[in-house]
Amino acid sequence: MTDYVIETWDLTKQYNGKAGCKNITLQVPRGSVFGFLGQNGAGKSTFVRTMLGLLHPTGGKAQMLGYPIGSVEARKKVGYLPELFRYPDWLTGTQLLEHHAELGGLPRSERKSVISNVVARVGMAGREKERIRGFSKGMQQRIGLACALLSDPELIFLDEPTSALDPIGRKEVRELIAELRDQGKTIFLNSHLLSEMESVCDYVGIIHRSELVVHGEWRKLREVAEQVELTVDAKNQKLLEQLPPYVHGKEFMRNDGEQQRWLITLDQNKRVPELLGALITEGAAVHEVVRKQQSLEEVFLYWVQKKEGEAHVAHHENHV
Amino acid sequence: MWPIMKITYREMISKRIFTITLLMSLAFLVMYGVATWYASKEIAEEMGNAADLLMETGFFSTQLLGMGLYFGSIITALLAILSSVGSIASEVESHQIDTWLARALPRRKYLLGKFGGLASMLALYALLMFLGLLSINQFVGGGVLAVHVSMGQVLTALGFFILMPIILVCVSLLLSSITTTVTGGIILIILYGISFIGGFIEQLGSMIQQSSLINIGIVSSLLFPTDSLFRKSTIALFDTADDPISFASQGLFGTASAPSDAMLIYTILYGAAALWLAVRLFGKRDV
Repeated sequence: MTDYVIETWDLTKQYNGKAGCKNITLQVPRGSVFGFLGQNGAGKSTFVRTMLGLLHPTGGKAQMLGYPIGSVEARKKVGYLPELFRYPDWLTGTQLLEHHAELGGLPRSERKSVISNVVARVGMAGREKERIRGFSKGMQQRIGLACALLSDPELIFLDEPTSALDPIGRKEVRELIAELRDQGKTIFLNSHLLSEMESVCDYVGIIHRSELVVHGEWRKLREVAEQVELTVDAKNQKLLEQLPPYVHGKEFMRNDGEQQRWLITLDQNKRVPELLGALITEGAAVHEVVRKQQSLEEVFLYWVQKKEGEAHVAHHENHV
Repeated sequence: MWPIMKITYREMISKRIFTITLLMSLAFLVMYGVATWYASKEIAEEMGNAADLLMETGFFSTQLLGMGLYFGSIITALLAILSSVGSIASEVESHQIDTWLARALPRRKYLLGKFGGLASMLALYALLMFLGLLSINQFVGGGVLAVHVSMGQVLTALGFFILMPIILVCVSLLLSSITTTVTGGIILIILYGISFIGGFIEQLGSMIQQSSLINIGIVSSLLFPTDSLFRKSTIALFDTADDPISFASQGLFGTASAPSDAMLIYTILYGAAALWLAVRLFGKRDV
C-alpha cells in the first residue's frame, strides 16, 4: 500500500464563494517530488496555505503526515518556503535561523552545527551574520529555504522557490530538490515555471481556475498524445494525405532540403510499426522516426484546454 | 511561548521607536529633574517662617509629582499602543507571520508569547518611569518638595501604574488580531483619548458637584478604563480619596473622585476578556 504524506478530500478554500481552491482531492506519495502547476491566481498558494493551517478550509478535509491539517502535530515535520517570503529585517540570518530552530524544537546543542550546515547548503555561507534588511531578494529566498530545511522536515512545501533566483541559483535549487528526494523527503513544489519543474517532478497536479484538472505520475501524464516525428522524402507528401484512420492528426513541421518533417498523432503507441509498414508498402522513403516526448508545457496546455473545452460545452448546454 | 517572547523583546529593542522613546523619556526625566531642582531651590529660599508657605509647598509638591506621573503615564500608554497595535496585524499584512505559524506552534501560544513579551517590557518601562519620577521628587525635590510617602503607598501606586500599559496591550492585541495596524491604532488612540478626557471631566464634575459630568466620566471609564488606574495610583500615592480639598492640593492631575474597587475588578476583567477574545479570534483568522 502506498504511503501518502498528503491526502486531501474535496479540500476547498474560497473567499466569499470565489477563487481560492475548490474540491481538491489528491494524494502525494512519500519520498516524491510533487509539482503543483497552475497559472497565476489558479489557487496553488491558497492550497498550500490551507494545508499549513494559515487559511481555514471552507470545505472538505485533508491530512498531512497522518494528522488532520490545522493540528500542531501535522506541522511538526514540515518545512515551508512561502511565495511571499518576508522575514524580520532587523534580524541577522543567523538570528532568524536560531529562532526557527528553537520553534522547531531543535536541541540547543545541535543548533550551531545544523544552522551552519543549512546555511552552506543554500549557498549563504559567510553572509549569514548580516542583517536581513541588507539582503537581496535572492538572498532572502535562500535564507527562507534554509529556514524550511532547518528542522530536518519529512515534508517540504516550496512555493515558487526560484522566483527571485538567478539561473545558477535555480540550478542549485533543482539539485537541492533532487538531493532531498534522494534522502527520502517529500517535496511539494508550487510553480508556474513549467520548464523548471519538468526535470525534478515525479508527480504532477494541474490546477486551473481553482479546480484540480488532473494529477498523477508525470511519466503517465505525459502520454496524453502519442506522437512521432516522421521525416520522409518531399515527393511522398501525397501519401501523407491518405493516412489510416488510427492517425488522429498530422502537422507539417519543416522542410529539410529534399525531405519534409511531419508531426503525426496516433491513437496508440503501438501503431508506430503499423504506420511505418503502411507507408513503406505505399513506396514512401522514410528517413527518420522519432517518438516525441511531451513537454510539461504541452501536457499542461492539453489538460487546461481540455478543461476549458468542457467548461465551454457545459456553459453552452446550460443556456440551451 | 518563550521563543515568541524572546523574538518580541528583540523586535522592540531593534526597532527605532523603542530607542527614540527611551531617549525622549530620558530627556523628559532630565527636564523634570531640572524643573524640580529649581522649584525646590526657590521655595527653600523663600521659606522663612511664613505659615502659609506650608500649604503652598504641599500644593506644589503633589501638583508637580502628579503632573510628572500623568505625563509619564501618557508616554507609557503611547508606547504601549504604538508598539503593540501592529504586533500581529503588521506581520499578517507583510506575511512575516507565515513562516512562524507554519511551525508546530499553536496560535494561542504565539499570541500569548507576544503578550508576555510586550507586557513585561512595558511593565519594566512603566516601573522605571514611575521610580524615575518618584526618585526625582524624593531626592532632587529634597526636604522642601518631597511628598511624604510610605513604601506601602509606593508599591500600591506602582502596581496600578504598571497595570495600565498591561491592560492597553491586551486591548491592543485584540485589535491587532482582527484588524489592520492603522485601523487598530486609530481605534485605540480614540479609546484612550475618551478615557483621558473622561477622567478630567469626572474630576471636574466631582469638584463642582455636577453628577452629569461625573456620569460622563464613569461611562467613559466603562468604555475604556485605563484612566481609573491612574486615578487609583495617585490616590494610593497621595493618600487622598473623595477629598474635596484634594483637587485643590493636587490640581487637575490629582483625584477628587476615586474609582471604586469594583471599577478596579472591572478593569482587570476588561483586560482579561480582551486577551481571551484576542486568542479566540486570532485562532479563527485567516492570515
